[in-house]
Amino acid sequence: MALPKETQRLVADPAPGISAAPHDDNLRYFDVSITGPDGSPFQGGVFRLELYLPEEYPMSPPKVRFLTKIYHPNIDKLGRICLDILKDKWSPALQIRTVLLSIQALLSAPNPDDPLATDVAKHYKENEAAAKAVSREWTEKYAQ
Amino acid sequence: MAKVPRNFRLLEELEKGEKGIGDGSISYGLEDGDDIMMLKWNGTIIGPGHSVHENRIYNLKIECGHDYPDAPPEVSFLSRVNLPFVNAANGKVERHKLPVLANWERKSTLETVLVDIRKEMAAPSNRKLPQPPEGSTY
Repeated sequence: MALPKETQRLVADPAPGISAAPHDDNLRYFDVSITGPDGSPFQGGVFRLELYLPEEYPMSPPKVRFLTKIYHPNIDKLGRICLDILKDKWSPALQIRTVLLSIQALLSAPNPDDPLATDVAKHYKENEAAAKAVSREWTEKYAQ
Repeated sequence: MAKVPRNFRLLEELEKGEKGIGDGSISYGLEDGDDIMMLKWNGTIIGPGHSVHENRIYNLKIECGHDYPDAPPEVSFLSRVNLPFVNAANGKVERHKLPVLANWERKSTLETVLVDIRKEMAAPSNRKLPQPPEGSTY
């Protein structure tokens, strides 16, 4: 079976710091890695994610989660991501590439006002410097 | 036909379990909320009415291996129980003796496993079996 056009482009020309490869036995299921953006507490880390295109895609958004542990207010303990375009702000005009770029941007700009990991968000709001230090520590511990 | 990968399938099951299932006579959740591979689960069955199990609460542990849901989960009772498909020595549900596990299909879920076990508890051949003291464990 030929890879869909979108997948071909994604694999051949991923955005900087992002790679994505479909599983041989399931072309809707991707191994993804995103490098932590420079200037963020995730810099120097490589984060593994998994992405799945449900049957309804592109009418429904892809499903994505982190497999690497990460200390971030919008990502919970199971790697689930709170990002509007993965939910009510999804549009069929968006693509996997846009989704992954948005996740990369979320690493640079956490949003503690729309948290998924409420304890991490509280930490980020009360003492951002200390919270960022924990994020850096986790990056060194888990994302190498 | 799209095939939902293990992890996304288990995330769906987790979310359904968190919302609560039906009348609450069965429930399940992750043993450890940090378990990113979602291997170990807890299950609870409230004993069906009009049986020796009425008003009893049974705790189970469930392991979803890396080949779940292509392969069935491993299910064990933690609470002692006397049922023909449960190993009396260790509480393990014997796969070949319980139809939902013996005839496992990819569309079966943790919910269907627990619901089927509860149905078996209420079956005419099982509902009057003498039971170990309430609250005892393996």
